[in-house]
Amino acid sequence: MSVVWQKTTHGVPRRQEKAQRLVAQLLLGVVITTSLLAAAYLALVASNVHTARQVWAMEHQIVNAQRDNEALKTDIARLSSIPVLQERSVALGYRPADAIDYINLGAP
Amino acid sequence: MLRGPDARLRLITVLLIAALLPILGQLVRLQVLEHSQYLSEAEDLVQRQYALPESPWGVIMDRNGDLLVGNVPVYDVGAEINMITDTHMAAATLAPLLNLPEAELVKMLTLPPNTQDLVWRPLTRHIPAASAQKLIDLNWPWITLAPAWERYYAEGALASHVLGFVNAEGMGYGVQAFQLRFLRGERIARVGSVSGDTSPMPDELMGGSLIPYPGTDLRLTIDRTIQAYIEGVLDQAIADYKATGGTILVMDPRTGNILAVASRPHYEPYRYPEYAQNGQDMLFRDPAISVPYEPGSVLKVVTVAAALDSGRVDVNWSYNDTGQLEYGGVLIRNSSGGAYGQQDLQGILDHSLNVGVATLSTRVMGADLFYKYIRAFGFGQVTGIEMTGEACGLVHLPTDWDWSDSNLATNPFGQGIAVTPLQMATAVCAIANDGVMMQPHIVAERRYPDGRLIPIPSNELGRPISAQAAQLVAEMMAHSVETIAKEAQVPGYRVAGKSGTAQIPTTGGYDPQQVIVSYVGFGPLPDPQIVILVKIDRPDVPLSMRWGTQIAAPVFQKVAARLFTLLGIPPSNLRAGP
Repeated sequence: MSVVWQKTTHGVPRRQEKAQRLVAQLLLGVVITTSLLAAAYLALVASNVHTARQVWAMEHQIVNAQRDNEALKTDIARLSSIPVLQERSVALGYRPADAIDYINLGAP
Repeated sequence: MLRGPDARLRLITVLLIAALLPILGQLVRLQVLEHSQYLSEAEDLVQRQYALPESPWGVIMDRNGDLLVGNVPVYDVGAEINMITDTHMAAATLAPLLNLPEAELVKMLTLPPNTQDLVWRPLTRHIPAASAQKLIDLNWPWITLAPAWERYYAEGALASHVLGFVNAEGMGYGVQAFQLRFLRGERIARVGSVSGDTSPMPDELMGGSLIPYPGTDLRLTIDRTIQAYIEGVLDQAIADYKATGGTILVMDPRTGNILAVASRPHYEPYRYPEYAQNGQDMLFRDPAISVPYEPGSVLKVVTVAAALDSGRVDVNWSYNDTGQLEYGGVLIRNSSGGAYGQQDLQGILDHSLNVGVATLSTRVMGADLFYKYIRAFGFGQVTGIEMTGEACGLVHLPTDWDWSDSNLATNPFGQGIAVTPLQMATAVCAIANDGVMMQPHIVAERRYPDGRLIPIPSNELGRPISAQAAQLVAEMMAHSVETIAKEAQVPGYRVAGKSGTAQIPTTGGYDPQQVIVSYVGFGPLPDPQIVILVKIDRPDVPLSMRWGTQIAAPVFQKVAARLFTLLGIPPSNLRAGP
């Protein structure tokens, strides 16, 4: 089925065009499909970008956590170092053990 | 004149095409003819190397897992100085935070005249995280902070020679320099398109993770408690005897594990740039492994062990000590100057007879056999310990051009031969360990970032003497302690040992005054668990006191007594059982 019409532009009669409805539908379908694919592609790219940013931020967080972890390790080491332990032991009233006497319990 | 709409349309079409042609031409020029040039310019703008901040190096722990060397997060500070509006105000604010003089900062922050380009300048390195946070709080866009690491020595200067350091060029000393390839992490850097804040574009991140690999942790054989104790004892001994330096080394003869090693002079590893700047690089050399010395009479135990193992003598062998022996053009005398008459091997060790061991080397063994044992005990070659800068000592062999017959007469009592304290202790370990000489080692385990634990096994260096010869010499050394060198006795424990008093070689002879006194011993017998070497350099005490038995033996006794307690070794009578 076809539609035949005639229009004029600025008084100039245009030649008659015969548009096939099926072709128009096909064209419309192609346009819609392409648009959907493009939208899906854009959504995917956007999602990838977002995920990549998240990954990058998380990798930064890992590195920062690593730095915090190392700082804590050195803090613990400082607090449990021999001079600090000696100082705290003396403050608690401990004294160096000059000698240890072993007690022979003999055979059971 | 244009007639009709068709003509006008054609004219418009032509004009439009004419207008499009230059645009098309430009497109062809940009996209085709000069494509590569513009592409490279565009790449220059967006292509950068990108990476995450560097991972920490591996930490170093003692044998119980206590941290000896760790990492402190710090920051390097820079400034884009063309963005600064008020240089003097900025300098005044930054000076206390960066610990820099204000005048110096003003100079650093001032833009060079006639400069239009972006100028970035480094201001200082390694500021602590707290100071970095204060800089961030200032919210100055021209300040740049780059995360970095600084090595942290948890116990200060403890075991400084063992731990060492590594400078920016990757050169250094101690375990850290030797194990650098394990300790240093691996940074992953790529080149690609970056955004305005220099982070990689999303498609770049598809290439995989950028998280850098941290370094491998090391667990040492060192025990920090023993280390701290022997360093205290060494400092006290050096002060008491007004010595210039010294070494105390504690080894497990069964495994070769070094439990502690302290040397003076030493340094604070975290201040190494200052020492280097002041020309004090010599401090970095570890006297325990890098500075050979003539060991003196301590070497007699090796000579006696060699003679016994060779089968040329047995415990019943004796000689007539006349107090002197001439060989190779030199006259050998006993250190006391006296003659001791008929003496056996026990007498040689008890009285530390130079003539006795010279008799063994020259009359009993001969050069080939004597030096075969010297080499078998590891003298003149490195032990292979996991530290940089190990010296091999100095042993003149009969095949060397500078060897003379006199070497055969003087080497048996530790003169004319130079060894490191580590070599000497390793050789005595062989005697303590039934003739099996273990390779000294200081790295017990590697801990990889993925959780793998790789223990480093003990290696056997060789069997210079038989178990029987080793046990005989150990018994003789123990007998010497029980009867003669009572300064080395440890109440409740049976120990073996030998003292040494060595002259110090100078140009054309020996220093008439200065000596190096030493004592090497092990215990508790019959199953020795530790070997202790004590060396005190140039003690400034009356001449009558400058003997190994007077100075080094009491230090050995003190260290041995405490270590038996620290290591939980019960006294000999309890160990023997009911």
